Amino acid sequence: MFKNLKEVAQRALERAMKEGCRDVRVGSDMLIQSSFSVRNDKLDRLHQSTGSSLYLQLYVDGRYGYYSTNRTEERELNAFIKNAVEATRLISYDPDRVLPSKELYFKGKEFDLKQFDNSYDSVSPEVKKEIAFACAAEMFGKDKRVVSVNCEYGDSLEYYYMADTGGFEGEMKQTLFTISSECSVKDRGDARPEAWWYESSLMFDSLVREGTGRTAMERALSRLNPKKMKSGKYNMVIENTVASRVISPIISALNGSAIQQKNSFLEGKLGNRLFPENLYFMDRPHIIGAEGSRFYDGEGIATKNINIIEAGVVNTYFINTYNSRKLGMPVTIEGPSVLSCSLGENFPSGRPVNGVSEILNKMERGILVTGFNGGNTNSSSGDFSFGVQGFYFENGKVLHPIKEMNVTGNIVTLWNSVAEIGDDPRNTSRWLIPTLAFESVNFNGN
Amino acid sequence: MNHPEEMKALFGVSEEDLRRLVTIALSNGGDYADLYFEHSISNELTLRDSEINGAGTHVDYGVGIRVLSGEKTGYAYTEITTMKEMERAARTASAIASDPGRDIGPLSLSLAEFPRRYKASIPWADKTVSDRIPYLREIDSLVFSADPRVNKVMARISDSNTNILFYNSDGVFATDERPMCSVAVTCIMKDNGVTENGSASRSFRSGFEMLSEELVKELAAEVVTKTSMQFGALRPSGGEMPVVMGSGSSGILLHEAIGHAFEADFNRLGTSIFSDKLGKRICSEEISVVDDGTIFANRGSISFDDEGIESQKTYMVRNGILNSYLHDRISANYYKTAPTGNGRRESFRHMPLPRMRATYMEGGSAKESDIIASVKKGIFVDNFSNGQVQIGAGDFTFFVKSGYLIENGKLTSPIKDINIIGNGPEALADIVAVADNPVIDNGTWTCGKEQYCAVSCGMPTVLVNKLTVGGVN
Repeated sequence: MFKNLKEVAQRALERAMKEGCRDVRVGSDMLIQSSFSVRNDKLDRLHQSTGSSLYLQLYVDGRYGYYSTNRTEERELNAFIKNAVEATRLISYDPDRVLPSKELYFKGKEFDLKQFDNSYDSVSPEVKKEIAFACAAEMFGKDKRVVSVNCEYGDSLEYYYMADTGGFEGEMKQTLFTISSECSVKDRGDARPEAWWYESSLMFDSLVREGTGRTAMERALSRLNPKKMKSGKYNMVIENTVASRVISPIISALNGSAIQQKNSFLEGKLGNRLFPENLYFMDRPHIIGAEGSRFYDGEGIATKNINIIEAGVVNTYFINTYNSRKLGMPVTIEGPSVLSCSLGENFPSGRPVNGVSEILNKMERGILVTGFNGGNTNSSSGDFSFGVQGFYFENGKVLHPIKEMNVTGNIVTLWNSVAEIGDDPRNTSRWLIPTLAFESVNFNGN
Repeated sequence: MNHPEEMKALFGVSEEDLRRLVTIALSNGGDYADLYFEHSISNELTLRDSEINGAGTHVDYGVGIRVLSGEKTGYAYTEITTMKEMERAARTASAIASDPGRDIGPLSLSLAEFPRRYKASIPWADKTVSDRIPYLREIDSLVFSADPRVNKVMARISDSNTNILFYNSDGVFATDERPMCSVAVTCIMKDNGVTENGSASRSFRSGFEMLSEELVKELAAEVVTKTSMQFGALRPSGGEMPVVMGSGSSGILLHEAIGHAFEADFNRLGTSIFSDKLGKRICSEEISVVDDGTIFANRGSISFDDEGIESQKTYMVRNGILNSYLHDRISANYYKTAPTGNGRRESFRHMPLPRMRATYMEGGSAKESDIIASVKKGIFVDNFSNGQVQIGAGDFTFFVKSGYLIENGKLTSPIKDINIIGNGPEALADIVAVADNPVIDNGTWTCGKEQYCAVSCGMPTVLVNKLTVGGVN
């Protein structure tokens, strides 16, 4: 099945070179997905699909174009490539559009990152349905305040082949198995607060099959009778499920394109200590079994362990080949793979504070954020304003849910008030961000 | 290319093939089945550092096959339209039902004609990259020449043409050609060591004729004005206050605060805060809110929806009464009412859901100047970037890129970068004045409910008595 994708990609690469490209990068992917959803106690949706696409990056006479198609019959593909090369020739000459230096490429498999479950095809539709029904049964009929429940079992198999005329060739396969649940409950008046929970695993046998529905229901019920708090400064604890929200603005600001376009609040800050000297953001791309692990990035450049923020110092930007030449700076990987953060260089830190309950105890009084509702960050200044949902806590104890509140500040200033970083990242996403705590943050309520 | 014979040739299917596929899809006893063939070609051209630095073309092709059995949905798609692959997809979708052997009788097939809501007078396929380039260069030149503080300009033209062939078990056979174009520009300015950014965009279901000197001038002027406003703008004191929402893009309030909560899938499941409000008064009788798929060339318009239902203008709120939810076939059947033409999908890879089109409030009787004058202390906002809503709790947000403080009835200091949060039913009931200046905003609005869908929104100037404004305390 995958052999054909590889052949199509290689044929497209050769064809593009024949049409006059100086260099070509080609990618070919396949995504197979299935899902079963249960609403309350009945099967609601089934979905099954197989899709594939061919991606071409063409370097023609110092010009660059990016093309994709899922029509790969030879005659049609040849015509598509011919038109693509001709279209690319019409844009501006740009000498910085080149492939990476060969010495930066990933050279070959080092060890198994354990991304692929060979038993993918052996999970029967009956088992998939059974998992979704069992998840829903943890909520449906369990509490009279429950209005509606939904559970979905999903799985996917993704294959990606990439090659270029600079000599890079690589292929990746990943399976993913998921259970997600949502629960809506009746509150005072017309409100019906909802909550979700989610488990995922690259290996079917490691998927946590019990408790997803129950957790969603408990989280929904905990949101009943919310209160709006007075505006003011509160300590803020951000649960590990959503903590990446205050990291992503920094990662975006380190992106080479934002730096080159002078649209980043971290432009000119490389090597500067902007954050507390015990703060580390690190990328560990080769963690076995982690969802985001990879040996190379989208240009084929080998990934490696790096400290992005090191002892509070901005240690790297994310610079691809194009922006490297524009900026006169060295090429790095294009972005983090398995990102995390800690107070101290070691990850996990091994510090005594572990998860959200320990951190609530330490922070005494404040707001535990369990969800963000909209908001944005100004890429030029780092000023942010986000809607939040969560709970007010005192002396480590959650007292009541909150509603209709914003948190507003500056992302660099926020990270300078970091008080605690837990050791409890969930393994259900590519970034492993633990629970975070910040002191004296500006909240807006009534 | 909207001729049915051309469409059948494009997808390589005959009428007999269509009937056969639907027959297989219903072989397990579903109530309804549809086939959604799609072929789209999209192009993009980007300008950066005053050069045209990237071009791209993307082709997507396939068919989605859906079976409904009561409220249940079976869905499968294939990118290969041989009968073998399509029959396999049809069998997969059919598995949602469990009543095999039911006789569905002979399937009819008749061409459904719908009023055209858009037309590419000059098809994008007839124009080359070279034809598009002058517009990007002109935007770049105009923005740089407008203000010496301009440091960088990025601009992009994205166009697409999507061919649709639709057939369902009711015998509806329809074809459509859906053009779309977006032009977007971002400007970075630097002044005394301070960097600010701003963006402007326009999007229409239109052909190459959309690109014009006037459009380019309008966008360049708008992006320079928006970016300039950021310098010296402050963040207000946060908390509850009156908010005057300027005409046009303030329609994001409707989209987030009430639009999603009126989508009938949420109400059918009882998960919307408006689930028990149909036919009841929910706001001032001066307020009427519409979801309209019929505005010619509007980004949110569709000639027919992705379930073969003619597009329409749907009053969600009429004179303050919750008049109608936004329905797809499943919810319309549940509520024993007619579908409203809101069954939309991102592509053949997705099953349709109730989705908004162009959502706007009709004009009222007040004057904008009087509304502003009536506010002692509050804010005026009219430039937004994004929003979100929690359907069940009703809490919605939108992010304000810029606006003004209102002090003693006058616009004073510019403000920026604040999130506003409110509760849908309360905010709607808190609209105490509606101006006579309704405007549809033609920016590149895209809704992200499970799938991406092109929409638009609009609003006259309104006064909301109380919303919670992000700010510094």
